[in-house]
Amino acid sequence: MNNLLDNLEWLGKTAPALAEAVRLAPGGVLSLLPSREGTVTAKCGDRWIHSSYDPRKEARSWADAQFKDWRDEEVGVVLGVGLLYHVEALASLKQDGRRLAVLVPDPSVLKDALGARALGRWLETVEWIWGHPSDMADRLAGLASPLRFMTYAPAAGLHEAVHREVEASLRRLVAARQSGRLRIAVVGPIYGGSLPIAQYVTSALELLGHRVTWIDHSVHHTSYKRFNSYQDARHRLTMQGRFAELLSLDTVARLAEDPPDLVLAMAQAPLTAGVLEHVRKKKFPTIMWFVENYRHLTYWRQLASSYDYWFVIQRGDCVEALRKAGAAHVHYLPMAADPQVFYPSSLTETEQREYGADVSFVGAGYQNRRLLLPRWLSPEWTFKLWGTEWEGAADLTSVLQRGGARIDIETCRKVFNATTINLNLHSYNGPSLDPQADFVNPRTFELAACGAFQLTDERSLLPELFADQEIVRFRSPDEVPRLISRWLHDDHNRREVAEAARRRVLAHHTYRHRMEELLAVIGLRQPDRIGAVLRGDRNAGALAARAETPPELAALLGRFPPHQRVELKDVADNIRARGASRRLAREELLILLLDSYRSETRDLV
Amino acid sequence: MARTLVVQLARLGDLIQTIPAITALKTVDPEGGVDLLCPSVLAPIGQLIPGVDRVLEWDGTLWQRWAEDASAGLLPTHLERAAKQLEALATSRYGTAYVLNQHRRALLAGSLLADEVKGPLLDGPLGTTLAPWAAYVRDVAHTGRGCRVHLADAFCGLCGVCPPGTPPVLINTSHPLPADLESLGRHGEPWVGLILGAGAVERLVPIHVWKELVVRFLETVPTSRVVLLGHERERGQWLYDLLSPSLVSRVWDVTGRTSLRDLAAILRRCHYVIGTDTGPLHLASALGVRVIGWYFARARVHETGPYGVGHVVWQAEDLDGGGHKERTDVRPLQWPIEETAGLLMQDQQFQTMLRVPGWSVWTSHCDRWGAYYTERGSLSSPPPEREALWAELSPLVLR
Repeated sequence: MNNLLDNLEWLGKTAPALAEAVRLAPGGVLSLLPSREGTVTAKCGDRWIHSSYDPRKEARSWADAQFKDWRDEEVGVVLGVGLLYHVEALASLKQDGRRLAVLVPDPSVLKDALGARALGRWLETVEWIWGHPSDMADRLAGLASPLRFMTYAPAAGLHEAVHREVEASLRRLVAARQSGRLRIAVVGPIYGGSLPIAQYVTSALELLGHRVTWIDHSVHHTSYKRFNSYQDARHRLTMQGRFAELLSLDTVARLAEDPPDLVLAMAQAPLTAGVLEHVRKKKFPTIMWFVENYRHLTYWRQLASSYDYWFVIQRGDCVEALRKAGAAHVHYLPMAADPQVFYPSSLTETEQREYGADVSFVGAGYQNRRLLLPRWLSPEWTFKLWGTEWEGAADLTSVLQRGGARIDIETCRKVFNATTINLNLHSYNGPSLDPQADFVNPRTFELAACGAFQLTDERSLLPELFADQEIVRFRSPDEVPRLISRWLHDDHNRREVAEAARRRVLAHHTYRHRMEELLAVIGLRQPDRIGAVLRGDRNAGALAARAETPPELAALLGRFPPHQRVELKDVADNIRARGASRRLAREELLILLLDSYRSETRDLV
Repeated sequence: MARTLVVQLARLGDLIQTIPAITALKTVDPEGGVDLLCPSVLAPIGQLIPGVDRVLEWDGTLWQRWAEDASAGLLPTHLERAAKQLEALATSRYGTAYVLNQHRRALLAGSLLADEVKGPLLDGPLGTTLAPWAAYVRDVAHTGRGCRVHLADAFCGLCGVCPPGTPPVLINTSHPLPADLESLGRHGEPWVGLILGAGAVERLVPIHVWKELVVRFLETVPTSRVVLLGHERERGQWLYDLLSPSLVSRVWDVTGRTSLRDLAAILRRCHYVIGTDTGPLHLASALGVRVIGWYFARARVHETGPYGVGHVVWQAEDLDGGGHKERTDVRPLQWPIEETAGLLMQDQQFQTMLRVPGWSVWTSHCDRWGAYYTERGSLSSPPPEREALWAELSPLVLR
């Protein structure tokens, strides 16, 4: 008996093109070996793809765990092919009507699987997704159902890059189709750089049509600062720690009063691990957008496992470090700009005189800036320095504006617009350029959004965000004076570069884009909750149109605009608003009964 | 023929206090079938109520979980499974549901299961107009004053029937206790069940107070035994540890390890039951055991004293003179330890000196208007207010 031919025949019944691709594939990716209990198992290099003892038992246990969360309406999507033991186990659990798909990044692996053992009829029951990553994403999006991804890690590890690409394409597709309205609580910090970003994020989510509650802790900043007046640092630390704990509880109380679908915390948000655990028990997904350099601020180690999702502005080591520290889901999400705040503007002559210069720098006095900026002063151009924490920088006193006072965002935008060449030097507490230059700071996007020309130090993550023609970079401090000279009097090309950068920001790098991406990630991971809302499945019209919706419930839903998201509370309120004395239908009574329990579930505090 | 459903979704004490209403409904219509809807956890006790044909178990935890699911995103399947659950509870609709709770969910459950609902609201589950007896109960709960009709009898009023005139008694069925508890109540006398817990923190008696009472009683009556009862395992252990080795051999600590049926079986073997937790006290009285209650905080003897004859309740009094518009928590400054021990010992000398500052002491009775309490040492004639109240709130019933 030839397993491969028999299995190809089964496969060919539903996926003839894939069967042909498998026939032509070389195979041999997996090494086949006998397991202890006699069945065939597989390795790839040194890596075991299935158990060396009992691959069937292992597969059953994996399938049982996946099956628990898999809902009827979802298409299960298996990542990882191996010898298909796990897919077979899952296929044996699923009832008729449930759809199961398997991603096939490499037909050669499937050839090894089909040749290894007799599989039979269940191959017909699976939807095989293969081809280029973007095609696979198209196919998945075209399934028109919520997707439940199930990763069989030992096998999926062989094609991580492909899976990432598929997911990224899928996220873009999902993001473009978001139509539902979520309730999102944005938890901001007490102070600091992530505070304005919390505002931009809030605006972006509102622009996307979601209902956002910004839990603004900056109103407590004055009290927080008061603790700086203690002479003993221990007192300050204790009081500020306790104060942050109190604000953490304040956050929970606010969540209890207006329960959201998800909680989005910005870096430095005062949320303790204990409170996050409490919030998790209440099934609010928690998200942290850590818009900080993970090497400088390291409190993420204590909180890694406390958030359901981490979004970070660095790739590689940062993502790995968070995963090792216990974070379940970590995703790269770069900074952005809010084009409502940062935009090209014409200035009056007075403003131009006040804010304008040939060269400007806006930012705080980090060590590398203190040492490098003086080297970039020249009698050939005017220079203005804006920002705080420049005390003691004697070389820069002559160019420091407003005595080093903090400037507001509007002033910042005016400086960007009034300056011919904006210097953008990423912060680093060292003598020169950041040797681990990966993330791209918000200023890069904000300058671009203003249509302002910038010279930026090279970052490893910059090329995937902006092309060379959009942002001019320098790789060493010595290049800067030459680049200033080169661009200072080239108005035409400078404007072209700046306008191209602005176009790029508007097309790809606004907070609206970031929030679409962030929600798409969560929507894909939680297809039954967040995903369903985002797809609009919870809108009155979609609910009423479901096949299983009884006419009585459809009638209740018909009282709402079809595109309005409808929840238990809304329907119950509607029933109550229609008067007390009439005789209530059974569905109305059921809704009210469930709602009576719902109103008792807010025991968050 | 349409059957009747009595809906009681509150706690143990309320369930026991529902017995007179069920008895009265059966008296009015001896042939009519009566079923009971009560929380699943109380079903073992519901099954002991005379006159109840079937107990429908209400799984509040399940509904809570479903409500959380539906809150996360309402789907038709949420209603479908809720409807199936109700169908599994009752295959056909009831003619009338008598709802004894003021919580809307009980009214909604009654409305889903029966054609007609009689209960605290006159105008349906969304209504706001309270039935006369419901208004009375609410006022009493808020002010704590002027009440001489027992809650169990007010339940009768809500159902449109008169009190049965006899104390409620649960069906006596044998229930095997775990082997190590089988000897409870078998040797020595009297056996006293001491309920250590309370429905609310403010109604907990300090452990050292209970210890004093136990020591006083055990030292004075050498043949006596004490069983420590309740959910609170730690309190039981704490009290047990405080007792001297010479006394612990006469004390059984069963806190935290009994089911409701176990509790009922143990209570039935006691000669007295003492405590502040009204639920087990009501259960004990319905099992025919003499009860001594310490009522303070918001507990009031006239509303929720053990229903029957010969029970004693120590009532902490509001020393401010009761001039509050709203009911207030009464916190005792001292405890009737010696006096309670005296009652247990049937010591006549003690019985004549039952005065404790801040407390009054009451004895229970039962007549055609239901349960009432009279203060010890005064005339035991029934309070006339009850008849007047019944005439005012239930004139048709009295006719």
